[in-house]
Amino acid sequence: MEDLLIKLALAGIVYFGVLNLAGLHTWVERKQSALIQDRIGANRASIFGFTFLGLFHSIADALKMFTKEDIVPTGANRVLHTLAPMFSVFFALAAFAAIPFGPALEVGERTIELQVAKIDVALLYVFAMLSVGVYGVILAGFASSNNYAILGGLRATAQMISYEIALGISVVGLLMVYETMDLGELVRAQGQTIAGGWIPFWGIVAQPVAFIIFVTAALAETKRTPFDLPEGESEIIGYFVEYSGMKFGMFFLTDFLETIMVAALATTLFFGGWQVPYLQPEGFHFPWGAELPVANWLYVLLGVMSFTFKVLAFCWLFMQVRWTLPRFRYDQLMKLGWKGLFPIAVINVVVTAVLLLLFGEGS
Amino acid sequence: MPSLTIDGREVSVPDGTTVIQAAEQLGIFIPRYCYHPALSVAGNCRICLVEIEKSPKLQIACNTFVNEGMVVHTGSEEVESGRRMVLEFLLANHPLDCPVCDQSGECDLQNFYMNFGLYNPRFREHKVKKQKAVQVGPHVMLDQERCILCSRCVRFTDEITETGEFGIFNRGNRAELGVYPGTELDNPYSGNVVDICPVGALTEREFRFQARVWYLSSASTVCNGCSRGCNIDMHYVLDRPHLNQGKRVMRVKPRYHGDVNEWWLCDEGRFGFGWLDEGRLEAVRGPTEDASWEHALNVIAKLMQEKRVGVIASTQLTNEELFLIREIFPDARVTASVPERPGSSDDFLIKPDKTPNTRGAALLGLAGPNAPDAEDIVDEAIAKKLDVLWIMGHDLVDLFGAEKARELSESVELLVFSGTNESPTAELAHWVLPTASYVEKDGTFVNCDGRVQRIGQAFPPLADSREDWRVLLDLARLAGPSLEWSSPAEVFRELSEAEGAFANMSYETISDQGALIPSAKPTEAAS
Amino acid sequence: MAIKVVRRPTLTLWEKTYLPQILRGLRITSGHFFRNLFLHTAHVFGRFKDVPASVTIQYPEQQRGLMSRFRSRHRLMSREDDTPRCVGCMLCETICPAKCITIVPDEHPNPTVEKYPVSFDINLGMCVYCGYCVEVCPEDAIRMDTGILDVASYSRDGMKLDIHQLLDPGLRKPIATCNLDFPHKCGVSGGEMKGSWNGSEGRS
Repeated sequence: MEDLLIKLALAGIVYFGVLNLAGLHTWVERKQSALIQDRIGANRASIFGFTFLGLFHSIADALKMFTKEDIVPTGANRVLHTLAPMFSVFFALAAFAAIPFGPALEVGERTIELQVAKIDVALLYVFAMLSVGVYGVILAGFASSNNYAILGGLRATAQMISYEIALGISVVGLLMVYETMDLGELVRAQGQTIAGGWIPFWGIVAQPVAFIIFVTAALAETKRTPFDLPEGESEIIGYFVEYSGMKFGMFFLTDFLETIMVAALATTLFFGGWQVPYLQPEGFHFPWGAELPVANWLYVLLGVMSFTFKVLAFCWLFMQVRWTLPRFRYDQLMKLGWKGLFPIAVINVVVTAVLLLLFGEGS
Repeated sequence: MPSLTIDGREVSVPDGTTVIQAAEQLGIFIPRYCYHPALSVAGNCRICLVEIEKSPKLQIACNTFVNEGMVVHTGSEEVESGRRMVLEFLLANHPLDCPVCDQSGECDLQNFYMNFGLYNPRFREHKVKKQKAVQVGPHVMLDQERCILCSRCVRFTDEITETGEFGIFNRGNRAELGVYPGTELDNPYSGNVVDICPVGALTEREFRFQARVWYLSSASTVCNGCSRGCNIDMHYVLDRPHLNQGKRVMRVKPRYHGDVNEWWLCDEGRFGFGWLDEGRLEAVRGPTEDASWEHALNVIAKLMQEKRVGVIASTQLTNEELFLIREIFPDARVTASVPERPGSSDDFLIKPDKTPNTRGAALLGLAGPNAPDAEDIVDEAIAKKLDVLWIMGHDLVDLFGAEKARELSESVELLVFSGTNESPTAELAHWVLPTASYVEKDGTFVNCDGRVQRIGQAFPPLADSREDWRVLLDLARLAGPSLEWSSPAEVFRELSEAEGAFANMSYETISDQGALIPSAKPTEAAS
Repeated sequence: MAIKVVRRPTLTLWEKTYLPQILRGLRITSGHFFRNLFLHTAHVFGRFKDVPASVTIQYPEQQRGLMSRFRSRHRLMSREDDTPRCVGCMLCETICPAKCITIVPDEHPNPTVEKYPVSFDINLGMCVYCGYCVEVCPEDAIRMDTGILDVASYSRDGMKLDIHQLLDPGLRKPIATCNLDFPHKCGVSGGEMKGSWNGSEGRS
């Protein structure tokens, strides 16, 4: 019973945070692009005359989505048409369950892992959830009974499947280095230091090439610029052309959820998750020999803050990339995925294996 | 027959021909203001200057008679500079109010200035102010400032109508056109002075400010005002309903026909087009309410079956329609011989018979001595010897009195009125069918001289009205003999085969000059 | 025909990875981002007010100046006695490529003026703002210099300007009273003729 309550609380915290962050993303997207382009950004929505930097636009957006007419085109498959956006959102949300967002919290006798679901093969689980997300996209295109929508859906599917391969292989090297698929363990393993304690042994240090491949492929998975060919709102029309109201809103939400998901994954896999540099469970061990003991609650708090900060930083980076780069052409996209990222990822695995064989602890 | 060379081309013309006429034969147009082929030569506008070799200076083409071996240049540098100077003088006192001038767009002063104008005026003096907007007659407005004193109108009233209202008064730059004191330009041909006026000095009061001339579309047709059948151009506007209260026909202009009306048209015909847009019947009216054409024709066809039918056709109808009536009602009492009161007449253009096709009706046997009289048919109907009576456009109330018309409508089983305009008879009829006016349909008229002339369709029929020939063909399809024809041209082809008078005629051979009936002798129209 | 040989630059392996150019792009956008973020924050605290953080014009409150040759909504010019300068020559109606001008002229009591417009309507829903009407007018009776850009309406009828709105660009529909003192077909009174040349009637 207590376990259930704890799980519910954890889930509540995670999803409260994630959903709010996704909502905020619409505001961040507006404001960040405005700052990049020397504009002001949305600032008109107001409550009692307070505009509050345009934050209310997110609320206005949500209100609009909920109150707009829901249109199902004639000839569309009603059930699938309704199911598709739900699929998208559901699997995007479900993936968050396996992300550890802080070190284990000790309350009395109990040790609480700050992770909704402690899964031994959490990495596989997350990848599976992300893969299943493609169903929402193809269903949306298929159920809309619209040629543009189905073409958009097919484009999206091809893109996501192509980049999933590079994405999957890029983390293989990581698994070889840390020898675990449990994300909690993976993060803990990144707590080690090398070079005499000066450099934390994070994924980025162990696998820099894999990091670049992972981030690129993950961006493609999120279907955002420069990989937004499935949507191409203004020009080539995407799989959700026949969606309106909150159904469209769900696809919209999925986009932001996936961005956060990818940010969280990148943090967990390559940036030490909730690890703070030089902070061990007992306290700080600075490389010059100084030590600073830290209580468990502070350790946990610092860990969660560290994780949140890293995720936000990645979100910022992805947004910055989205407003910097133009869209790829479809052939360029495929070329990059199959002829660029995939072989490099494979070579990375081979090189990692050879290096591990030669210099690894097991040799 | 002296022969001469104009602009390098040789032509032989009869003695006494002027250079301007000789040039016309070659298709060379020489500008002119005062010269008009129908009027005497005045030679005062000086625009028709041409260069004649061995002549010391430029000569006016309108008053120079041709000589053997003459060599004329109409477009040389010298000629153009001469015309330019003439125009400079003509414009010395012209107000140049073209934007508000009704003549603008069809003004010879404008046109020739475009070709030979100076464009950089040297006159700095004030223009002489004269009277504007002088009402010289019931139809004509005079602007003395715009007048270039060509005297065409003066010669017209002196020579053609011989009424002599116009004169040129004062001298020098104060010379001005006007009517003699105590007179008014009210002769029956007064509108023609507007046509011959080369500038905007004389304008139609009826057309004043109604439309700019470049908005007008033109369709050639034949006047239906009397049996003369003057050739006219109908000027109309369909796409600017805000003008002239939405009326379509703006004005009527005569069209030259050497054997019918020459350049002229009487005021009656020129200004008598108001009925084309006023008081028109617009919907099919049944005994109780408006109906569709299909419904009306079905009902009428049914009621006509096996009944004694009378038709009072009209000499306003075309030959094709009269022929159709004859074919569709073979057993009916049909006449187009209606005792209309004769109108005004003169020995120039105006004929007393105010319908355009009495001659045609007579040739088809619907008028003339052998045709029954309309009054007899009305009397037979009142005496219940007829069950159905169809009246085409005639106002029986006006012809026979309201009492008799009412009696008629009560005694017959079915009284059909088809026509263009509202009339007291339409009020009495059981069924009222709106039909197209003569400018809204195709067909032919035969004028008093036996000339078959085609009236082309200028624009589609108003509102729900239909051409009579279409109504008759539709009715034939429902009730009468099956007729395969579907257009006036086809009907006319049948007509020319059936009637010897029209033999070997077709719309192509009639063309725009008309065709004379072989046996044509001017006979008085039977009435 | 001259031949121009365009040499495509050959890229090094490092350049072929796209990464340097992506980083350069990110440097530019990030530069703007942090500069503007700093400036916006500084403005809140009243610093660096003279360095603008954005180029945005806050439209309805802040209006951009119009070029002097800009063609905005039309107006009709009037004489000293407040009657329109228009002489009803209909040249604007003629030249109008959109056929949005409709004029009904009538006789002016002064024969030297000849005509004046009884009604002068412009359907702004059809107008293409080409300015030909202004160019062609011989009397300088129509101009497009009101500076009015926000021509909007809830109905097609609302886009039709009649002689009131054209003579007084400040007027907006619905127009309550007609204060013109020359005979004209008045939109206020449903297309009836109002006013007279002696100026006693029709004044409000």
